[in-house]
Amino acid sequence: MQHRFTNINAWTVSAVIIIFLLFLPNLTIVTGLFTPSNENWEHMKKFVLWGFVKNSLILTAATAFFTILIGLSLAWLIAQYDFPMRHFLKWALILPLSIPPFIGAYTYHGMLSYTGVIQTTLRENFGMAVNSAYFDIMNLPGAIFIYTMFLFPYVYSIAQVYLSRQSASLIESTRILGKGPWKTFFQVVLPISRISIIAGASLVVLEVLNDYGVVKYYGVQTFTTAIFQSWFGLGDIESSIKLAASLMGFVILILMIEKLLRGRRQYSYSTTKVRPLPLIKLSGWKAAAAAGYGLFILSLAFFIPVAQLIDWTLLTFGTIPMGAFMNYVRNSVFVAGLSATLIIAFALIVGNFARMVRGRLGKLLPRLTVLGYSIPGAVIAVAVVTAFIGLDRFLAPFYVWAGFSTTLVLSVSIVLLVTAYIIRFFAIGYNSIETGYDKIGTDFRDASRTLGLGVTKTFFKVDMPMMKGAIISGFILVFIDVLKEIPLTLILRPFNFDTLSTKAFQYASDEKIMEASQASLLIIGISALAIVFFYKFLERELD
Amino acid sequence: MFVAIEDVCFSYTDAKTRALDNFTLKIEKGEVISILGRSGSGKSTVLRLLAGLEKPEKGRLIIQDEVLFDDKIFLQPEKRGIGMVFQDYALFPHLTVAENILFGLFRMKKAAKKKRLQEVLELVELQDFGKRYPHQLSGGQQQRVAIARAVAPNPHLILLDEPFSNLDAELQGKIREELRDILKKANITSIFVTHDEKDAHILADRIVKLKNGRIEFVGRPCDMLDTYRQTGVQPSTDGFVEKSLTGVN
Repeated sequence: MQHRFTNINAWTVSAVIIIFLLFLPNLTIVTGLFTPSNENWEHMKKFVLWGFVKNSLILTAATAFFTILIGLSLAWLIAQYDFPMRHFLKWALILPLSIPPFIGAYTYHGMLSYTGVIQTTLRENFGMAVNSAYFDIMNLPGAIFIYTMFLFPYVYSIAQVYLSRQSASLIESTRILGKGPWKTFFQVVLPISRISIIAGASLVVLEVLNDYGVVKYYGVQTFTTAIFQSWFGLGDIESSIKLAASLMGFVILILMIEKLLRGRRQYSYSTTKVRPLPLIKLSGWKAAAAAGYGLFILSLAFFIPVAQLIDWTLLTFGTIPMGAFMNYVRNSVFVAGLSATLIIAFALIVGNFARMVRGRLGKLLPRLTVLGYSIPGAVIAVAVVTAFIGLDRFLAPFYVWAGFSTTLVLSVSIVLLVTAYIIRFFAIGYNSIETGYDKIGTDFRDASRTLGLGVTKTFFKVDMPMMKGAIISGFILVFIDVLKEIPLTLILRPFNFDTLSTKAFQYASDEKIMEASQASLLIIGISALAIVFFYKFLERELD
Repeated sequence: MFVAIEDVCFSYTDAKTRALDNFTLKIEKGEVISILGRSGSGKSTVLRLLAGLEKPEKGRLIIQDEVLFDDKIFLQPEKRGIGMVFQDYALFPHLTVAENILFGLFRMKKAAKKKRLQEVLELVELQDFGKRYPHQLSGGQQQRVAIARAVAPNPHLILLDEPFSNLDAELQGKIREELRDILKKANITSIFVTHDEKDAHILADRIVKLKNGRIEFVGRPCDMLDTYRQTGVQPSTDGFVEKSLTGVN
């Protein structure tokens, strides 16, 4: 029998342990499905469950529809036409991703409320007493608006890169064959970019299902809010697990639909030389309309909320004690930095393992760990807490022996939170590292080994230095995702441990919207910087 | 016998047919062997198995009385003392030419390292290029660095995977001559893989022709010509064979 492993060594052992630990908590959710149901769950199933399902369905479907509409139309404009401000819009349209939806949600609520800038201006400057109900955003359509505005860049960025790389001859031959721009769009562009649209839209859908901040703040009942409610409101973790399991089923269904929609179809070029699309120059009202459309969306999704946040920060500056604020910053940087470092280290080990192992097993095992990203934070929270309480029970005799005053040690520590981050965001780091490994291939490793260096030495002297870019980008991506994270941090943080995002969320929930702005602005600033960095970095890589 | 490959079988995971089927070959010290075959014939697999980058299903590999592989032993690539020149050279892009060559000399003392570096740079006539990075070199120069790097640790055997495939036609002729000189000067036993009969005829002392993982022919280039004469099939490179015969033998 042929050995599947080229060699079994420390790398293999550590990789298998990491994969197992990352995947284990999710199993506790599945087992939760089979425990007998209690009264709460029966009640929920009978009266409210359908409501969560319906709201979650409407939210995801409508958001997917609108993000595709906006994201794809902007991507097509940027990829095909030349108009004033195109170059600026090309990268600036990714910026809305730096605003976590819950921050966007409370900012818009603040602007549109009775005391907000819009109604006040109408009242005081124009003497118009408008019905406040017209400006109510705290409902299902409002949540859809917020998600669309702050998540459409997922569709936009993927589609834009994809469309820009399309061969010019493909589009040109469509035109020569007598199709106008609209027909070209619907008959050629749309079908060939289907895969990229689905990729972007499924990210959007997963984000919506994961989100807790917006729906909680706007009072829309979804799976996520229900998990929280039954856990904290009713103290019923069993029902939370059942809800989480149902939500996971929902996510798996979406992933299956995505796979089905993608199909086996892979469009690839029949020639190796791809000539990029030459831009069609727009002029007159068409140019103005194109630039206007881009700027309008960018204003709604970035400039207006950021301007409002800056205004509030200036108004409240000094009311938040600097010491406390710096403490939130420190906590944020600490958990984000620690999680990102661990994730990248683990990803390097698992990625190197995936390269060494042959066959289906080697492809499948690392894939398991990536699942975490599609599992909503609330589900992971339930899973991790359940697993850690079990672990603490197991370790209880040791705690007693070591003289601890309590037997709940790990499950109330920062370890719990960092573990949850690692499970949730491992995929982000891993994708980056995996791409890095793919890019350098195996020849350099093989060359190093034929020159006498073992696997570990080769890793440090060849793989690591060559993957610097992938390591840095993976680290930054994880870092900003942790920085913005809300549901996991809220549930799992140790007592009295606040980060920028939990503090922003708490202030906003307490209707201290202005006080929330300072922390929010810092989160947005750091994320936006990272996004700009990436854009420039990627652009250089592509050249 | 210097190198002995005995009844080696190998198939890639999930593949239905064997990439290499009962491959047996004995090589004398200093011999230059060419493995000739189309893509997918299993020719590169022979090199990867010898280098230890793949593990055979069965068989035996021996170099200079040391067993590299049998039922019980599998020597890791870093322990085999076999040099390899990769098809795309695999020069470490983050290291200079000198650092690339020194990479495999970590067991030597400092003075010895320096001396060896100079020697191999001279061998490949790149004395003035030590401080350059691989991307600052031409394709032909990169290949010479790859050879220098593989030769530097004094391997028992050097393996070259399609050494000319990345060079343009004009360079190929020139480099072929150079490579033959370098290999003979260094007196290293070598195996190179190619799909081009010209390369094989000019460079090799012996040619091994592979088809679907099995040996179709082993012999001197002139013997190969004889089989062509007998079968009436002409070699693909007209007029080149005669020239190569005078060149090598």
